[in-house]
Amino acid sequence: MTDTQQPPQDYPEVTVVPRKRMRLSLAWLVPIAALLVGAVLIVRTVMQTGPTITIAFRTAEGIEASRTEVRFKEVVVGKVTKVALSPNREQVLVTVKLDKSAEHLAVEDTRFWAVRPRVGLAGVSGLGTLFSGSYIGVDAGVSNVEQSLFTGLEAPPPRLRDEPGRSFVLKARDLGSLDVGSPVYYRRTKVGRVVSYTLDPEHDTLSVQVVVTEPNDRLVTAQSRFWNASGVDLTVNANGLSLDTQSFASVLVGGVAFANPADAASAPPAADGQRFDLFTNRKAALAPPDGPPLRVRMVFDQAQRGLVAGAPVDMLGIEIGTVRSVALIDAPRGDQFPVEVIADLHPLRLGGVRRQFVVPPDGAARADALFMKRAVDHGLRAQVRTGNLLTGQLYVALDFVPKAPKDTLDARADPPTIPTVRGTLSDLQPQLADIVARLNRVKFDEIGTDLQETLRHASAAGNGLQETLTSATVAIRQLTPEAQGALAEVQKTLASTQATLANLDRNVTHGDAPLQRNFTQALVEMQRAAQALRVLSDYLQQHPESLLRGKPADADPGKPSEGGR
Amino acid sequence: MSIAASAASSVPTAVSRGLLGCECCGLVSEVVAAADSARCPRCGFALHARKPQSLQRTAAYLMAAAVLYLPANTLPIMATASTLTGRESHTILGGIIELWHTGSWDLALIVFIASIAVPILKIAALTLLAFTARRKSRWRQAERARLYRVLETVGHWSMLDVFVVVLLVGMVHFGAFASVEPGPGLLAFGGVVVLTMLASASFDPRLIWPEPATDD
Repeated sequence: MTDTQQPPQDYPEVTVVPRKRMRLSLAWLVPIAALLVGAVLIVRTVMQTGPTITIAFRTAEGIEASRTEVRFKEVVVGKVTKVALSPNREQVLVTVKLDKSAEHLAVEDTRFWAVRPRVGLAGVSGLGTLFSGSYIGVDAGVSNVEQSLFTGLEAPPPRLRDEPGRSFVLKARDLGSLDVGSPVYYRRTKVGRVVSYTLDPEHDTLSVQVVVTEPNDRLVTAQSRFWNASGVDLTVNANGLSLDTQSFASVLVGGVAFANPADAASAPPAADGQRFDLFTNRKAALAPPDGPPLRVRMVFDQAQRGLVAGAPVDMLGIEIGTVRSVALIDAPRGDQFPVEVIADLHPLRLGGVRRQFVVPPDGAARADALFMKRAVDHGLRAQVRTGNLLTGQLYVALDFVPKAPKDTLDARADPPTIPTVRGTLSDLQPQLADIVARLNRVKFDEIGTDLQETLRHASAAGNGLQETLTSATVAIRQLTPEAQGALAEVQKTLASTQATLANLDRNVTHGDAPLQRNFTQALVEMQRAAQALRVLSDYLQQHPESLLRGKPADADPGKPSEGGR
Repeated sequence: MSIAASAASSVPTAVSRGLLGCECCGLVSEVVAAADSARCPRCGFALHARKPQSLQRTAAYLMAAAVLYLPANTLPIMATASTLTGRESHTILGGIIELWHTGSWDLALIVFIASIAVPILKIAALTLLAFTARRKSRWRQAERARLYRVLETVGHWSMLDVFVVVLLVGMVHFGAFASVEPGPGLLAFGGVVVLTMLASASFDPRLIWPEPATDD
């Protein structure tokens, strides 16, 4: 306090530096900048908020407010903000806030669906949803009409709108192991997938929807055949054992394969949505178009063990049908029980032959029957043959038998009966019996005598051969003196070589050889010299002065000096 | 303390004696001319009776802080991305509500006080100080001075949120499993804290006791 009462003149004066000072502080720039930053932040947030839409779902399973995302092509484009029941309590109304960038999704024909984890044999889809929860998938619409209320799909749509490719409908009798997502193969390459299937209660068939993606969709032509490539197709039939699979994956997962018949390579690509039949296997699919089957009846006199339902019916080597049933006929003819075989034939499989044969068509079934009648008139007969000796499978062959008794076919009967001839196996039995009977007639004892005589002749011939060999030996012996001379020369040469070698041995390698002895002496000398040097060095170590003064008189006389070397 | 209370003109202060102290070397010197551009005769440090444009600056910083306070609380301060929970962004207030709902009311309270209440109280208190100083008010001067000291002390701790988020961003790098990214709100929040600190630093507490002669 006392300081302040001192006179002012005690203090130094301040230095005055004239300086222009702005009236307004520069600090005011800070709130302006802050305002700008805040405005930018807020404007950006406002810009980023897109439209709000409402989607009606049947259930809100897995959908959570402020957690479930809306994804378009796996890109998050929005978030669920609210989940509520509709006023009539039938639906769940999900409110979604879309991003600004996804504005165009809020149009009329956009489709929404909930993606939940699905575990199927065809793979686990939506695996990410196991952790992240379900999300809502979007298929962007192309319309320009904006809309904010949508009805969600219960399952993913068969095909996204922007997925290139074409979809086809396959009519199947049985789904097999197909499922949504099962692959579609062409030449064992995956080119598409099964997107959905529906049971048609009216026609009692299944409609399987498949999508073949670009650019492979052009492979599907109007003539293409589809078949179910699921699992392993292992068949044992008259053709033997056959195993048919597509890829390993399809064995596990199932799949659909298609191929184009050889004559349909240039057919135009099939239209989008074209319907095809789904065959049960490749063979059925690639068989020529069958047309309606012609049911025929054949009666065989012999027992036909091995002929079963499903056995093929060949005509001139072409499989044109299958056996449907094999049964003994009720009414015995005499003491026999003939076998009645009912088969379905597809004469269309014969192709051109059938077309040439055929009479003017008056109803497809009748035309086939008339064709068969003409064939029978030309000698066509049914015959049971062995297809495979290993398995004993039989098949029915329709063949033209030249010497068949005249017969005909009643084209009006239902089913018409094709005349038969005995099978090859049943033909073989009497022939075998005949052969055995002939063998019985052979005179085996006479043959034995003849054989003995032949052997005696052979023995005489052997003696002649021995004589020839003896004369050959003599001839060789005449040759030998000269050869012996030559050998003696060789022997002499060898002996001299041996002497040379012995000489060498004596001079060099033998213990008493001069070279050896000289070498040993030299070594002994060197050893002595080394000894002398060691003695000298020892002495010098003890008496280094002797280098200057010479050897003292009392030095050990036994020790050799330098001159001793 | 109570001596400073009422009669200001009679109290001996440096300004009333025409003296200025150097804040750098401690030399006390006498003012002869306009004190606007005075310099210390010994060390050359700029001398001023009060911090120059103190109230203007304080007001400017306070305004900026108030402006940024809005985005700091509405925009997400961090976004966590993880395969388990998906991508989530968090605002400060949202985090507090979540903490409250999950039962950690004590933590929620701490975060609320540190991140919401303290900045707004700081802005409000500084506004009050600046306003009363501008009015040269003599209302509760000792309490106002104490308030200022409290503000200065508290200011050091208000960056807590920013530190936590920065630590998380740096440490949580579990690749596809989890990662934390700073959000735009963090920038605004950091701005708020820095600006309130600047505001309290530019406020001259001596203005709480107005000199009859001083302007500004």
